[in-house]
Amino acid sequence: MQTKKRNKEDRTRMTTSPESPVSESLAEFKNSFAYGTRTDLNFKFLKNLPDADAAQFFQDLLHKLGDTLDDGDLTRVADHVFAWQAKAYAGAGNWRYPDGPFTPLHKPLAAAKVALLTSSGHFVAGDDPEPFGIKGMTQTEAMARIDDFLKEEPVLSVIPRDTPAAQLRVRHGGYDIRSAQADPNVAFPLAHLRDFAQEGRLGELAANAYSFVGACAQTPLLKRTGPQWVKRLQAEAIDAVVLVPV
Amino acid sequence: MATVVIGVAAFRDRLAAMSLPRLVVTPQLMGRPVGAPNDKTRQREILLAALDLLENAQAGKTIVDLT
Repeated sequence: MQTKKRNKEDRTRMTTSPESPVSESLAEFKNSFAYGTRTDLNFKFLKNLPDADAAQFFQDLLHKLGDTLDDGDLTRVADHVFAWQAKAYAGAGNWRYPDGPFTPLHKPLAAAKVALLTSSGHFVAGDDPEPFGIKGMTQTEAMARIDDFLKEEPVLSVIPRDTPAAQLRVRHGGYDIRSAQADPNVAFPLAHLRDFAQEGRLGELAANAYSFVGACAQTPLLKRTGPQWVKRLQAEAIDAVVLVPV
Repeated sequence: MATVVIGVAAFRDRLAAMSLPRLVVTPQLMGRPVGAPNDKTRQREILLAALDLLENAQAGKTIVDLT
C-alpha cells in the first residue's frame, strides 16, 4: 500500500466530502463564522483569534462537551465560550481616552428622572426604522448588509416607556439577537426600569426609551448624531441615563 | 446628566479605555449584557448595581466588576 506523505499545509486543510472536494484551511473555517459561509454571530469572535488559539478553543470545547454528555452540565460550555470571547476581544481597542467627564447625580435616585438608551437595535412594532428604505428588513438581510450599516449614521428609535415586550422588535446585524428576541431585557431592560419606578427606586422613568443599531458609522455618531441625542435628553430634563452597548 | 454603562466582560478592556464615568462589567455572554433570557433575578441585580453606581459613584472611571 502506498501512502502519501502529507505536508504541513495539507495537515491544516480540511477536505469536505467527495461530493464537495474543495478544501478549507483552519483560518478559512474559523473566519467563516464572521459573516462568512457559516455566519454565527455568537462565534464571530473566532476571527479575532490566531489559528492556534482557535484550534485550542475547539479542542477544549469538544473535551468539555465530552464531560457534559455525561453529566448534562452546560455551565462549563458557557464558561468556555465566555472565556474565549474575552480573550478574543482583549485589549483597549481603538477608542481610548485618558480621561472622561463625570457628572454627579445631583439628587437622590428616588427623585431622579432616568432614561434608557441601548445600541441593541430595538424598535416598536409598526415603527421600523426601515434602514436603506427597506420595509421589513430581516435579521439575515441586516447581517448580509453589515458593511453598509457600518457606513451609515444611526437612526434613533423612540420607544414609549409603557411599550410591552410583545410590541418590541429587534434587528441588528452585529450580534446574535436570539436572546434579545426571546427576552428584550437581556439588552433593553425597559420592563425592569418600569418596575423600579413603580417600586419607588426611581423618581420617574423617562417618557421614552431609546435604541439604535450600534453597528453604524462611529465617527458621525461621536461627532454629530450622539450630541444631537444628548440635546434631546437634556430637553426632556433627564437626570440620568442607563446606557447598554451590545 | 449622569450616566452608567452596562457592558459584558468581553469588552471590559475596551470600555475601561474609554474612561467612562461609571461602568458595570457583567459576567454575561456577548449580546446579553443585562443577563440571560428570563433570568429576572440576575437582570435586576445587574440593573440595581448600575443604579447604585449612578447614585453613589464619587468620581469618573468608576468600575464595578460583577464577574
